[in-house]
Amino acid sequence: MSTRIETEIARPDTVTIEVDGRPLSAHPGESLAVALLAAGIRALRASPRAGGARGAFCFMGACQECVVTVDGRRVTSCLEPVRAGMRVRLGLG
Amino acid sequence: MSACPAYDCAVVGGGVMGCTTALWLARAGMRVVLLDRGSLCREASGVNAGTLTMQMTRAALIPYAMRGWELWRTTADWLGMDVGTRVLDGLSVAYTEAEVGMLEARASSRRAAGAPVELVDAARARDIEPGLGDGVRLAGFCPVDGFVVAYLTGRAYRGALLAAGATLQEGRAVTGIDPVDGGFALGTADGGRVEARRVVLAGGVWIQEMASWLGVRLPIQCLVNQLVVTERLPPVMRTILGVANGKLSLKQFDNGTVLVGGGWQGIGRGDPRDGGAEIVPENVIGNLQLAVHAVPRLRDARVLRVWLGYEAETADAMPVVGRLPGFDDAWVIGSVHSGYTSGPYIGRLLADAILERELERPLFDPGRLAGR
Amino acid sequence: MPDAIDLLVLGAGPAGAAAALAAAEHGARTVMVDEALAPGGQVYRAPPMDHRQLGQRALEPEHRDGEALRRRLQCSGVEVATRHRVWSLLPGFRVHAIGPAGHRAWVARAVVLATGTTERVVPFPGWTTPGVIGLAAATILLKSQGAVPGERVVVAGCGPLLAAVGAGLVKAGRAPVAVVDLAGRGEWLRALPAMAARPDLVRRGLGWLAALRRAGVPLLSGHGVVAVEGDTRVTAVRIAPVASDGTPRAERVARRLEADALVIGHGLVPATEATRLLEADHRFVADAGGWIPVLDDDCATSVAGLFAAGDGSGLAGAAAARLQGEIAGLAAARHLGQLDEGRYQHTVAPLRQGLARARRFGQAMARLTAPRPAMVGTIAADTVVCRCEDVTRAEIETAIASGAREMNQLKAWTRCGMGPCQGRMCAETAASLLARHVGGREAAGQWTARAPLRPLPLADMVGEFGYDDIPMPEPAPP
Repeated sequence: MSTRIETEIARPDTVTIEVDGRPLSAHPGESLAVALLAAGIRALRASPRAGGARGAFCFMGACQECVVTVDGRRVTSCLEPVRAGMRVRLGLG
Repeated sequence: MSACPAYDCAVVGGGVMGCTTALWLARAGMRVVLLDRGSLCREASGVNAGTLTMQMTRAALIPYAMRGWELWRTTADWLGMDVGTRVLDGLSVAYTEAEVGMLEARASSRRAAGAPVELVDAARARDIEPGLGDGVRLAGFCPVDGFVVAYLTGRAYRGALLAAGATLQEGRAVTGIDPVDGGFALGTADGGRVEARRVVLAGGVWIQEMASWLGVRLPIQCLVNQLVVTERLPPVMRTILGVANGKLSLKQFDNGTVLVGGGWQGIGRGDPRDGGAEIVPENVIGNLQLAVHAVPRLRDARVLRVWLGYEAETADAMPVVGRLPGFDDAWVIGSVHSGYTSGPYIGRLLADAILERELERPLFDPGRLAGR
Repeated sequence: MPDAIDLLVLGAGPAGAAAALAAAEHGARTVMVDEALAPGGQVYRAPPMDHRQLGQRALEPEHRDGEALRRRLQCSGVEVATRHRVWSLLPGFRVHAIGPAGHRAWVARAVVLATGTTERVVPFPGWTTPGVIGLAAATILLKSQGAVPGERVVVAGCGPLLAAVGAGLVKAGRAPVAVVDLAGRGEWLRALPAMAARPDLVRRGLGWLAALRRAGVPLLSGHGVVAVEGDTRVTAVRIAPVASDGTPRAERVARRLEADALVIGHGLVPATEATRLLEADHRFVADAGGWIPVLDDDCATSVAGLFAAGDGSGLAGAAAARLQGEIAGLAAARHLGQLDEGRYQHTVAPLRQGLARARRFGQAMARLTAPRPAMVGTIAADTVVCRCEDVTRAEIETAIASGAREMNQLKAWTRCGMGPCQGRMCAETAASLLARHVGGREAAGQWTARAPLRPLPLADMVGEFGYDDIPMPEPAPP
């Protein structure tokens, strides 16, 4: 079962993005954090001192837990819309 | 004045200078009270870039800075706490003809004063700092630079002063000082009064005001330095990096954050000492451009915080350390341009002077700048 | 060169949008800035571009109101600068932002701050595990993104969002494993008189509860989360009944719920970074969410020309925010000389009446949502308080024991609050911990607000430049 709600929403056709070198299908415009969640990717980065796994927490751009690198730029994935071909690097290890 | 004042010495101002002086006086057995209107090392001493540098220390101060550097390196021994000091290679780079000229002049005067500064070409500079971008014409290299984690110093001094038996009065603003028979009476904002046989004015940019309480005119200029810190990054640099004109100080802490300084100025509202100060966004951007020019990988970082720190400067950009003119028992210490490196040593020197011990090096007579 | 404008509105939620529309209607040259892709704030957050909402989803009040608001803005004279991050706000209302096309700067004659809130979660073991998200976060997922946080979701915390999120999950076909409410039934009963002010919302709430009941979702009132299990993802949530002081009793775990996500919230905190940067006076009002700017009846702060509205100026809910925003916009127009006193008073009088009603309801909800004061005391020593810097409660307590007496000092000594969230996630907890030792929140103080208001990429700050473009100051002394 997907974490996307499939009823009552007509989404644009999926596009392919690249996450740590692997292709991933996602709908353009949806939040990158949501696309990663739908793909079962929850741990997005490691905490600085303890090295604990962290994932999206506030989904409104405040907590910074979902920061990943997109095309060389560090962004909050919760506010970053999916675009075809975007290259995502997670912040683990 | 009561027959016997409560304290042998009152130190007004709890920055690195005041704290060090108070610490050594207390350790020598004096009854010391240290007053600060805020918390220890929360102004210039706690919010500055923490750079230990010979290349940006004025030549006449090099012998003091070398000793200060040694003290910073060993805070665990004499201050009871590691304040994150790291010894790093220091580089000062020149990108233009004019900067090459500046670099050569600065390096030679500092070498003459005893700092191990040598000039190296761009290739060697790149070996020393692989993070450097293009365009370097010449670099000054000094292997005894480094940094202190400035925001930890208050915690360290607090513990040391209490252990030495000093009385700490944080959050207590002194509003005036009167010479009285056998010493001084300090009035405080809470309406209190503290009496001491001697007084040390260690108020940084506020020394000018403190001296005026005792009728001495001691002009101190107040710079408003902007500082910027990034989020944690993978290693992008390994040196203390500056530019020959002095307008950049760049370092990466152990935790990965990069601090960008260099004395780009914010702006005061009137006299910043009275009315506060604000950042100048264009100067934040300029400072960051210079940082990115020096270390291009910083482009990938994000800025977390911009803040301001006051820096005291005298007309000759040299410290004021010694007796307040006209007083046997009122002392002043501060205003060392780029003086963080030498701070603890100069503080100890002043304590030696007050304790009438033989001085390793001369102080910096405030009389040269003072009037009445 | 900065653009000279009449009014800058920061935040495009219900309060900001209402302020901008009201001021623009009276001729104020108004720019409204927000970092989101579209106006609406969190409550009216727009779905992603080209994701069409159909059927019942399209009829949800927040969706309809949000779409209507966006249409109104489009037809108004308001310049809506979305995808812009304000990074510096200076006295004299000099505002610097970075948008898709680079730097923007404005000099405004008046400012309305409508910066909303951040969510508060009182730390517990495992709260940093991926799969634990905020209640407000879950509403964004459900309503705007059309997503659920997991397959087996526990919903926990306090306040009306619990039922809203629970019912939203039921509707999405993923009925939650349980809804866990810190409040007992008595607390809800005590809120009833104030709730009578908004029978429509009460009906809606009862509808949520009915949906949960129909779906057979266990509703555990008077219970709280004591721990989350799992390393790289949530595997289970441990639940315990709360004691009389409102804190879950970790030693009495009642249930262990297998789950892959936990949605949890303990209320909202007004985002006051902007009012603090502009040096407005603040006061601490626990029921309003914490530190809030001091406002008069015209939504004016202590700084002339600076107004604040919405939950960012004190929690009162979306309906109150809209009315407050409108008052702030009108007051700004009056300040700008574009609305005379008589017309101003005439227009705001009914708004104030509506606001009083909306507030009664909103503040009752905020009280139900507020964390129990004793909860911070139960945080375990090795639990992380500052997520960004991994600072534990024990490290904070050690710093306090060695003499830290106010928030900025505590930050310097521990790095708590120094990370990328800029203290938004830990300030409340750290301040509450410190307050226990120094005689209250006022004594503990607040972290000094600093630019930038959000972490900013250096690439955006510096742009493309050559060495000669750098506006180099005079060299340092030789």
